[in-house]
Amino acid sequence: MKRLALILGLGLLACVAGYFGAYVLHAGSAAGAMRSGTAPELAWLKEEFHLSDAEFDRIAKLHAAYKSHCAEMCRRIDTANAEVKEALAKSDHVTPEIEQKLAAAEQLRVECHTAMLQHFYAVSQSMPPEQGRRYLEWVEDQIFPSESHMDMSGTNGAHPH
Amino acid sequence: MSADAGKPDEELSKQLQGWRVTTPLPPRFQEEVWRRIEREEIGVVPGVFGILRAWAGRFWARPAWAAVYVAAALAMGSVFGFLRAGERRHVAMDDLGRQYVESIDPYQMPRH
Repeated sequence: MKRLALILGLGLLACVAGYFGAYVLHAGSAAGAMRSGTAPELAWLKEEFHLSDAEFDRIAKLHAAYKSHCAEMCRRIDTANAEVKEALAKSDHVTPEIEQKLAAAEQLRVECHTAMLQHFYAVSQSMPPEQGRRYLEWVEDQIFPSESHMDMSGTNGAHPH
Repeated sequence: MSADAGKPDEELSKQLQGWRVTTPLPPRFQEEVWRRIEREEIGVVPGVFGILRAWAGRFWARPAWAAVYVAAALAMGSVFGFLRAGERRHVAMDDLGRQYVESIDPYQMPRH
């Protein structure tokens, strides 16, 4: 009976050890290392689109340059939104001022999307052709989701695969 | 066959008479023996646990099969661990993908 319990226990121990061993080896490596880095989203891009170090360096530079432009766009969007809200608060019907503020916000959206697309094309051209196509398809779907992908929950975390 | 065959070996008899068992019996040994005898007498059919225990006892009596069982348990645990890690990794990658989108789209960027 003791021998039986010992073998059974050994089996259970091996099962648990195998589970945690495989888990740590498989999950702990890539995602964990990416999260602990300074720019996890870029580390993700490198892993996801199988970029070489040289390709990654080029894309990291493009990303850094775009980020400063993006921060400026964010500031302008926040200002435009605040102006729309202010105009809406002053009236209970659509005034020429509201129309003008909405048009300005819309113009800003066009400008923002144009800049984003230019960045996407630049990034995709820095990747191997096949990965570049895959990147464009994925990122465009994230920014401009097709109707079938849109839901009211607002989630857009679809994996590129 | 020697001529002494069948005669009691005096030396062996002396040794056996002097032999004392010092190892203590397991707890409730006698009770267990009587229970087994009773079970045999009334022909009690062993339950599922009994059958499994008997089967495992026979199966694991051979060290090679015991090793196979432990190796199979290790492999099974590893497969489950690998699958679970794959799921977690997928979620983590989705999350990082979302972070990337938020870092480039001013309309999705979290405001602080």
